[in-house]
Amino acid sequence: MSAPWQAAAPWRIGVDVGGTFTDLVMVDDAGAMRVFKAPSVPEDPGQGVLAALDLAAQALGRDVGGVLAACGFFIHGSTVATNTVLEAKGARVGLVTTAGFRDTLEIRRGLRADVWDHRTPYPPVLVPRYLRLPVRGRMDATGTEIAPLSDTDIEAAGATFRAEGVQAVAVCLLHAYANPTHERRVCAVLAERLGDVPISLSSEVAPVIGEYARSATTVMNAYLAPRVGRYLRALDARLRALGLPRAIFLLQSNGGAASIDQLAPRPAALVLSGPAAGVGALDYFRRTIGSDRLIAMEIGGTSCDVTVMTDARVPVTEELDIAGYPVAIPAVDIHTVGAGGGTIAGVDAAGLLFVGPRGAGARPGPAAYGQGGSEPTITDAHLVLGRLKPGPYAGGSVTLDGARAEAAIAAKVARPLGLSVTEAAAGMIRLLEQHLLHAVEKISIQRGHDPRRYVLVACGGAGPMHGAAVARKLGIARVHVPRHSGAFCAFGMLNADMRQDFARVHFAQLADDALPALEESFRALEAEADALLGAEGFAPGDRALGRELDLRYRAQQWDVRVPVPHGADAAAIRAAFEAAYDRLYGHIQPGGLIEVTAARIVARGILPPLCPARPDPAAAPALPAETRPVYADDARGFVPTPVYVGAGLRPGHAIAGPALIAEATTTIVIGAEDRAEVDAAGDYLIHVGGAP
Amino acid sequence: MSGGAASLDPVVLALAQNRLDHVSQQMGHVMVRTARSPIFSQAHDFSCFLAGADGQVVAQADGIPIHTGSGGFAVRAILRDFAGEIGPGDVFLLNDPYLAGGNHLPDWVAARPAFLNGRLIGFACNRAHQSDIGGGAAGTYNPEATELFHEGVRLPVLKLIEAGRLRRDLWALLMANTRTPDLQDGDLRAMIGSTRIGVEGIEALARELGEAQAEAAFAGILDHADKRQRAAFAALPPGTYRGEERTDNDCFEQRDVWVRVALTVHTDGTAEVDFAGTDPEMRGFKNSSYANTVSAVYLALTAFFDPAIPRNEGRFRGLTIRAPEGSIVNPRPPAPVTMCTVFVAHEIVHALWKALAQADPARACAGWAKNIFGVTAGQRPDGSTFVFYHSIASAGAGAVAGRDGFNSIGHLCTLGGLVIPEVEIYEQLFPVRFHRQEFRCDSAGPGQWRGGSGVHYEAEVRAPALYSFRGEGLRYISSYGVAGGEGGAAGEMEIVPAGGAPSPAPKFGLRRLGPATLRAVSPGGGGFGDPLARAPEAVLRDVRDDLVSAAAARATYGVALTPDGREVDIAATEALRAAAKRG
Repeated sequence: MSAPWQAAAPWRIGVDVGGTFTDLVMVDDAGAMRVFKAPSVPEDPGQGVLAALDLAAQALGRDVGGVLAACGFFIHGSTVATNTVLEAKGARVGLVTTAGFRDTLEIRRGLRADVWDHRTPYPPVLVPRYLRLPVRGRMDATGTEIAPLSDTDIEAAGATFRAEGVQAVAVCLLHAYANPTHERRVCAVLAERLGDVPISLSSEVAPVIGEYARSATTVMNAYLAPRVGRYLRALDARLRALGLPRAIFLLQSNGGAASIDQLAPRPAALVLSGPAAGVGALDYFRRTIGSDRLIAMEIGGTSCDVTVMTDARVPVTEELDIAGYPVAIPAVDIHTVGAGGGTIAGVDAAGLLFVGPRGAGARPGPAAYGQGGSEPTITDAHLVLGRLKPGPYAGGSVTLDGARAEAAIAAKVARPLGLSVTEAAAGMIRLLEQHLLHAVEKISIQRGHDPRRYVLVACGGAGPMHGAAVARKLGIARVHVPRHSGAFCAFGMLNADMRQDFARVHFAQLADDALPALEESFRALEAEADALLGAEGFAPGDRALGRELDLRYRAQQWDVRVPVPHGADAAAIRAAFEAAYDRLYGHIQPGGLIEVTAARIVARGILPPLCPARPDPAAAPALPAETRPVYADDARGFVPTPVYVGAGLRPGHAIAGPALIAEATTTIVIGAEDRAEVDAAGDYLIHVGGAP
Repeated sequence: MSGGAASLDPVVLALAQNRLDHVSQQMGHVMVRTARSPIFSQAHDFSCFLAGADGQVVAQADGIPIHTGSGGFAVRAILRDFAGEIGPGDVFLLNDPYLAGGNHLPDWVAARPAFLNGRLIGFACNRAHQSDIGGGAAGTYNPEATELFHEGVRLPVLKLIEAGRLRRDLWALLMANTRTPDLQDGDLRAMIGSTRIGVEGIEALARELGEAQAEAAFAGILDHADKRQRAAFAALPPGTYRGEERTDNDCFEQRDVWVRVALTVHTDGTAEVDFAGTDPEMRGFKNSSYANTVSAVYLALTAFFDPAIPRNEGRFRGLTIRAPEGSIVNPRPPAPVTMCTVFVAHEIVHALWKALAQADPARACAGWAKNIFGVTAGQRPDGSTFVFYHSIASAGAGAVAGRDGFNSIGHLCTLGGLVIPEVEIYEQLFPVRFHRQEFRCDSAGPGQWRGGSGVHYEAEVRAPALYSFRGEGLRYISSYGVAGGEGGAAGEMEIVPAGGAPSPAPKFGLRRLGPATLRAVSPGGGGFGDPLARAPEAVLRDVRDDLVSAAAARATYGVALTPDGREVDIAATEALRAAAKRG
């Protein structure tokens, strides 16, 4: 046991509950940081959180109560919402719809993930038709009532819901984004009859135009509310009882934090809770790297998440999809592909090599784990190529067995293709890296960005093994690898601001005479946002309200979201819209009529940003811990490669490739033409050499 | 590994296949990002594809299903008409189904050749539906057409850009032949731009691999798909299987017009599709150009077999297609063809699926009901034009083993990929108010897996407008059941003029109406398997959901419920089913 960590109070704690590990990152008042990893407990995620806290307590030489009592900010990212959907463990929901439109939720606009795969059924509809009940009453597209609401119908729906044992109710009426009074009336009448059954209104959960996305999101919120609310409140109570002085914060899909009181009734905002924290991490690294253009490639066991930050902003969209269910709530724009350490390779019936998208998961995991997996994975290929070393791995929770890896690759890839095991393993890596390359190219091209103008941030447990190779193919010159790469998201949570998005549908033609009404919409939203920030305890100086408009050319059906400064006139707004439109679509319509469709406020409660750590600089040259044969490329084969231990590397150290750096949560692969250095904050920067 | 066509590195083959698919998708992203018409960014009515130097399509990861088989025709027409005159920086344009390997006139193909060391190595192409191409009606569909000349401007293979120089005279000619030159100008530039991305992708890959490996990789990609499709055919019992399907009008009079097909599969994995016996070409615009017929055949086969088999032209190397000249599946000029990508593509797919159902009953696909809806166009009070499809009334799909039919979904020729619009958006954009979009009861084709139900639909069009009726499946059953399942209910449609009495909607033709309500029930899809084998719990759910009545549950499915309707009466159900089996 080493000496206790002399951390300076108060500290901040971020906990990310993933599928396999619960990561805890602790940063003390002086900016020193430690990472703790405990196995997740899917049946009771709170147990995994406490286990990770236990590890922190041991390191500090205190008990868990002592750790929590001196914690100034506790933020939690959790897959509990996502898992509730994936495991189909949500509530029994009743849905109230406008008469004539009971089936919007089940028609789903006909949207299917892969049109060619028509044999796969839709995921089950979350509310059966017999619990989707119509009420008469109608708004038109301007929000004007054209048929009065029928209280009789609401009461009948309430009676059915009670008889059927409904646990949560969703209400989505046509054009409620334009006028919510009918929905509010439905809520009031039902609340009287249903007691404490939570009721979600579409005009509050997702006030967007388009009845399918809005119904689906409202239903998702209702589906999650009872279980997620219970989990969050129980965890909060547990930690408070142990000594945590203030309520826990949660990381939302939009990348910002919010208090548990705000989120318990809006659990649909949590479906991207873990991965969205990457935004906070990018916001920290953009300062230490000195670039506002970053592409994060976070690779774990099963998937690769690509996030693009341009001019210090990561866009949010309302196009999230979770297990085939759309969620129209602002979420960080993350492109995910099935490519990670556990991704499985094989050969199809006609002799073609494939890698993914299927993965071996945490169980059985790669063949090398010896837990019963017989299919070769990317981790097995790295082991065969010498990039990973046999023996204990991931803090000793698994042991890598080279013979098993070799046998799996021989049986499932090398022999069917007539290749050596080395050639097969190298081929698996090449194909995987091409998938990664395509993932980055896809999101950059779709959003109108040139990846060559970005720094690639390679992170997650497996990202740093592929960062330099993928950057070389993309024409990217620099790759940044965070020292605590494997805890990227837990770390990012600690650098998140509080964020809440407010929106109001507002139709107008863009012209100076439309601005007073628009100003009114903005002010109403700002009053709402400001009140919320105040209630969350943010002093006026720590509140930031940003205005945005959804704009489109007349008669188009898609919007472009543009930040709008206070006092901007119509010409300035037009110029901002045209610049954004041109980047996305490659042309503009000079003088074309522009329509406003929505006003938005992004409300931030500013939390003090993390100060970059300033570890002591290097006093002596870096020395490798060992040199072992590692596969370089097809031309050179295995070459003796120095392996450095990350703990011994300090700012100022520079390492010429080929080399490996073994870090606590990852392994960094530095190619023969590459050069790595440790920056002032203790993270790694790889200068990528060689032609793409 | 050393180079040479004989020793293709298997890793290189996988990389090349995956890379070319990605390049064709990238072309699509660029197209969506740069085109002007919502038809591309919203409806995605285009397809990007890559072909080898001989015109064989090697990659088409992006695009709509009914474009799947037509790409090679276009490239081979270019190779035929411009042999020896194809150079770097050229871009070709074509659309004519009789002269230039087109499928129908609205779909224009832009094609750009790729070179390595001065040698032609392939083409990057984009086939895209234009917003207007002249002809007898705005918006490319002229339901009164009786000749191709009524359907728009005909383009043989044109060299639109020669060695990087745009032919301004040709461009002016094209712009003179559209009612929407602004849109067309932007869209055509977007198409051409996307082909440049494609050529850069092909050339980069070829440079990386070297000439010999690149050529071997293209060949290997086609061989691989060929092998997989042959294995799929070879797994069927050898023999000849027949199927037929009809449309009930020729756009001018009510009469049945038949597509008939014989599918023969051999033990070596080769096969023939023969349309002998199909009816002669019709007067109206539902004739299927040969390229579209081949596409519909590929669509039917691709949707039937494993979706993971690559969709390139090598896949169907072992397949021979015979379509009698002068029939509706291979008309003679100048028969009109514009509607063919929807109808009779639908009928071709049905006929072939019926044949395949006999060869492999377990994979059989029940019929998708045909869409009855048409188009409404008119002027808003401010004089601006509006046009919309009544696709909120989309029909029910057919079932397969393991999945009920989708209750309301886009055309079969898109495999449901055409997205159904939202009421709230349409009410913002058009002078229309919707009153109903809800599932029908007892309309789904019965089966162990039932068909899709179709929907009740009611749209109040609050302005005078022109209605084009060109749907199918009105007042006759347009789906079919398989393996003991049955077809779904027919579609119905009526017009209610404001303050007037309802009258049945016509099956074809144009009507000019004042403010009026269109009321419809869209048809139901076909079922798979014996309805008596349907899980009683599934029938219970359908009854609780009002998709099947309690009476039909007893009579059709042999399922009795408890008096409160909340549970299956197991004893009564067993008795009903036993009695039904005794017959």
